[in-house]
Amino acid sequence: MLSIQNVTYSYGDKEILHDITATVNDGDFCAILGPNGCGKTTLLRCIANLTKPKEGYISINDTPVSTLSPRIMAQNIAFVMQHPQTDIDFSAFETVLMGRNPYQRRLQNESEQDWSIVEQCMRQTNTWHLRLSIPSQMSGGELQRVMIARALAQQTPILLLDEPTSNLDIAHQFEIMELLRDINRKEGKTILIVVHDLNLALRYCPKTMLLHDTKLIYKGPTRDALTPERIHEVFDVEASIVDDYLKIDKV
Amino acid sequence: MKSPSNHKSHTVIISLALAILTVVAMFLCATMGVVDLDMKTLFQTPIFWNLRLPRVCLVVIVGAALSVCGTTYQAVFRNPLTDPYVLGISSGASLGAALAILMGLEAHLFGIGSMALVSALLTILLIFKVASIGNRMHTTSLLLTGVCLTFLITAVISLLMALHHDKMESIIFWTMGSFASASWMDVWIVLPIVILGIAVVLYYSRDLNLLLTGSETAQSLGVDVEKVRRRLLFFTTLMVAFCVSACGVIGFVGLVVPHCVRLLIGSDNRRIVPLSIFAGALFLLLCDTMARTLIPPNELPVGSITSLVGAPMFIYLLYKSKRKL
Repeated sequence: MLSIQNVTYSYGDKEILHDITATVNDGDFCAILGPNGCGKTTLLRCIANLTKPKEGYISINDTPVSTLSPRIMAQNIAFVMQHPQTDIDFSAFETVLMGRNPYQRRLQNESEQDWSIVEQCMRQTNTWHLRLSIPSQMSGGELQRVMIARALAQQTPILLLDEPTSNLDIAHQFEIMELLRDINRKEGKTILIVVHDLNLALRYCPKTMLLHDTKLIYKGPTRDALTPERIHEVFDVEASIVDDYLKIDKV
Repeated sequence: MKSPSNHKSHTVIISLALAILTVVAMFLCATMGVVDLDMKTLFQTPIFWNLRLPRVCLVVIVGAALSVCGTTYQAVFRNPLTDPYVLGISSGASLGAALAILMGLEAHLFGIGSMALVSALLTILLIFKVASIGNRMHTTSLLLTGVCLTFLITAVISLLMALHHDKMESIIFWTMGSFASASWMDVWIVLPIVILGIAVVLYYSRDLNLLLTGSETAQSLGVDVEKVRRRLLFFTTLMVAFCVSACGVIGFVGLVVPHCVRLLIGSDNRRIVPLSIFAGALFLLLCDTMARTLIPPNELPVGSITSLVGAPMFIYLLYKSKRKL
């Protein structure tokens, strides 16, 4: 269980997150929604212990993340960041193999087990055929899938993703979301994902945390979160639900 | 696809072969020089024991250290243009050496070397102090601080030289780098630090790969980024400080040898680090031997030979690897 307790974060004088409290149960597939600059990425970075909240804390199964070493954290939480590095010359295989780092000892090479886990994760994300390609030879969608494969290779109970679909066309967006849904259902992985497309959230994520103006204004089933009134309040657009889809118009 | 065990044994075998090659090359180079030494009586010759052998030993140690430091810096700063002198340690050492020369300490056994070392170590302290915010170290500020400090210290050295025309030549000569005065004492002072430093880099060589993916990614993959970076920088700067104090500034080795190794074997630092030890050692050995044998009895500055030999070699490798793509 992941619990966020009274987390407040500020950058200089500017408050980014204000007193956020929420729990994410094991096996949840939860979207984090909200307009640009409302602190979604910061919340993920706090959860991954990449930055420390000013007040409050985050804990996994009642252990505060700030007390865990990077190695133990990397065995518990995998983080797919918004902008994957494209200027490095590691092959996709080597990249995914890095996901095994939290389990390896120093001066020791990868075991056969590490290799088979990597192969399995790459097959699962449909990237095995790309194993010898370097980032500059891959498309945005392929690279994103490789990053997800690396996160899977970490074999963590919790997976965080920061807008993994933002640079992808609609078909690849579905592909990524379906992959994540599969992982969530079959392996029971807890998934927290920042998305911008409300319809993607509605379609794939059973739960939602809605952030607005540094505050968590709603947490619960996505269907109940995205009412036309709340969408108007948060995103300042008019929306209506048509056949389970949101139809959105400018004001 | 290669299997994991295969991968490792390859590196070990190549490293061993290169180690043997290095030792053989050291002996061969030691026989060459103004006075040609006979292989049979080699071990009874004082020139061999007291001049040539300490010199080739120091060359090999410094070559290995510089290229390992270059590899480390390029990964830690995620910048292919960084070389071991980028943090200003070399100019710090040069300032110390210049002061020693101005104070007339050349004749003392430890005069120039120890002044250079002390001022290089002070430079390291200063840079680390300025670039640390709280207990975090910001690599970009570190790099910029180093570059600025280099300009500042170089300016001071230029002023010193302008004010003391008579000493200009010896200061310039020191900063160009040379192994001409290498002694066993230098070897015993530099060797332990270099062994320690290289051991630390080898120990963290997988972390170097992860650091290349960005500090936050590395952290999320289980690397204690602050700790690893701090240790790597501490031990590598220490190596650079000792090397510069012993033989002055020798450019190009630390910048280009890591790239050559990378072009030949790929970007896995677990293979680059061990191979760059020997590549750096052999390359500098070749250059220093050329520097002292090309126009006997005079010596050429080894720093210009490294560039003269290294630059075309590097451009050739780069050209070849681009054609493969």
